[in-house]
Amino acid sequence: MKTVRRLLKNPTSLAGIILLAIFVVIAIGAPRFAPPPPRSRDAYMIPRDGFATEPRPPNEKHPMGTTEGQYDIYYGVIWGTRTAFRVGVAITIFTTIIGLLIGSISAFYGGWLDEILMRITEIFMAFPFLLAAITLTSVLQTIYGRGEAGPLMALAKVLALITFGQSPAKEMDPVQLQILTGMLAIIFFGWMTYARVIRGNILAVKQFEYAIAARTIGASNMRILFRHLMPNAVFPVLVIASMNIGSYVLTFAALSFLGLGAQRGYADWGQMISFARNWIPSLANYWYIVVYPGMAIILFVLAWNLVGDALRDILDPRLTGSRA
Amino acid sequence: MFRYIVRRLLIMPVLLIGVSVLIFWMLSLLTPYERVALYVRDIPRRQGAIDELIAKYGLDEPIPVQYWHWMVGRKDPDTGEVRGGILRGDLGWSQVGRGSVAEAIGRRLPATVELALWSAIPLIGIAIWMGIQAAVNHNKFIDQLLRVFAITGWSIPTFVFGLLVLMIFYAKLGWFPPGRLSDWAMRAVQSPEFQRYTQMNTIDSLLNLRFDIFLDSLRHLVLPVLTLSVINWAFLLRVTRSSMLDTLRQDYMTTARAKGLAEKVVIRKHAVPNALIPVITVGGLTLVGLLNGVVITETVFNWPGMGSFLAQAALTLDAVTVLGVTLFSSFILVFGNLVVDVLYGVVDPRIRLE
Repeated sequence: MKTVRRLLKNPTSLAGIILLAIFVVIAIGAPRFAPPPPRSRDAYMIPRDGFATEPRPPNEKHPMGTTEGQYDIYYGVIWGTRTAFRVGVAITIFTTIIGLLIGSISAFYGGWLDEILMRITEIFMAFPFLLAAITLTSVLQTIYGRGEAGPLMALAKVLALITFGQSPAKEMDPVQLQILTGMLAIIFFGWMTYARVIRGNILAVKQFEYAIAARTIGASNMRILFRHLMPNAVFPVLVIASMNIGSYVLTFAALSFLGLGAQRGYADWGQMISFARNWIPSLANYWYIVVYPGMAIILFVLAWNLVGDALRDILDPRLTGSRA
Repeated sequence: MFRYIVRRLLIMPVLLIGVSVLIFWMLSLLTPYERVALYVRDIPRRQGAIDELIAKYGLDEPIPVQYWHWMVGRKDPDTGEVRGGILRGDLGWSQVGRGSVAEAIGRRLPATVELALWSAIPLIGIAIWMGIQAAVNHNKFIDQLLRVFAITGWSIPTFVFGLLVLMIFYAKLGWFPPGRLSDWAMRAVQSPEFQRYTQMNTIDSLLNLRFDIFLDSLRHLVLPVLTLSVINWAFLLRVTRSSMLDTLRQDYMTTARAKGLAEKVVIRKHAVPNALIPVITVGGLTLVGLLNGVVITETVFNWPGMGSFLAQAALTLDAVTVLGVTLFSSFILVFGNLVVDVLYGVVDPRIRLE
């Protein structure tokens, strides 16, 4: 509670919180702000006004103009907010769970298991993150393109359930599947920080009397780990993770920009900006195809970073008290 | 000191093998048909011919066996010629690059290195300068301003920043065009009388005394260098700032001031050198930032380097090429990190004692 009060007092984090609140309102109210056309099958597919190639400037019907292929930019920016939240939150949930599992097991059991798990973590960190994500996305798209069932398809279904609320019994939608490949790649190479942080924290709380007491009364390993150690060690990880939503959205937008994330015409900010690559020499005339979706990404990520930056200062004990 | 370096060296092979296993795991997710490009340049259209190749190169054998052949190469049973084998520097054949993956990387690497080298100066220099300014003026206006600047810089996606500067400085003002060289300069560079020593245009043009080409390549470098720097500034600035803040609190700072030294000397001679020690560790992370940043930056600015090559290959789902480039980049990163760690041990005596 004290943390929340300090966040609200700090002008930069307050700005971040207000921005985030606005984005939440936009995401929830998307059907109201930009109602999908009456006979649209998927509200996330941006409606088109004709099929002309050349973008058209903002006008009465399209307040932010239309991009290449006459996709309505305003509609895409509004519904893209939902995509950003969905993608960011789902990636955060999965990376955190993986990190927590690996890190806590590593710290709790120690010994050779710890050694092996930490070396594996280091191997994952040896990859340049974006390159690894691009690579895995490209491989996964080849595999999912075959449409076979298997463990990877099951994984995609779980992720689809969390991200889109899509029932696992239903056939996978190829549009969603392409988004999921990018997300899976980011998750696969994104959990390491959490594993390291939780490991350090568990190692610290493992020394406390209550952990030893729990062991003395004969509590099982699982019970000690999940009832006694985890609750006391997990908080900083959750804070770091929630603040990373912005950077996950950034990475996913980069994949979309390269053509590896959302499909053409999907309400996704990165995908919308990728159209601009075809119009670089005349961008001065078509500024709206970059500026509107670009501002949406910048403000969204900025909001998370503003809150995260203030939180880091508050939670860093070295910076509180008399020394600062 | 010796033990520290030995420990770092011992972990290297573990990392390199681990990276190669992960890369091969991704390869093994593909079908044998998609892996044929590891050994064969021109993949035949006919199904039967492909099946023959799969049998010939053992692409249907158990995965560990295939991994071994992928590492050391595989002998062609008919001709006795060894093909493949990443340890032999053979990463397979690229459909996008129309040649071997290793050659394609080699052809595009100089452009990327040139971009990275030019970016290093403004990237590191200005970030450190800003970090020191922020720390010296702790909690004052400059500090807050730089903080907002850093957070904003951190929040701008590379491609949005790149497109925005292209919009202003190319589409609107026409000052700095995308690409690597103008057409006339490209023709001059490719002409027989132009000696290509390093394949880096800025260096080669100076060695050939063609200052017009030098200026032209600089003109093309400005925007990508700016983009790569700005997106990486935030992090380095933060580290320099907090390290400098820590140093300023040390007792020897008080001693230096008590000696009656001027504040400028105290900062420049006593604080900055010590504050920069932790900044070295960030060198490795800066390398990551550059490797990641180069993919997007090169794509936006149409820069013919390794990053745009990777993006292109990924888009056409040319897995052998993509995995080859990523393997190569990861190895660079592992070696880069080793250099950084050893350097850190050399500079900071506290590390050695631990």
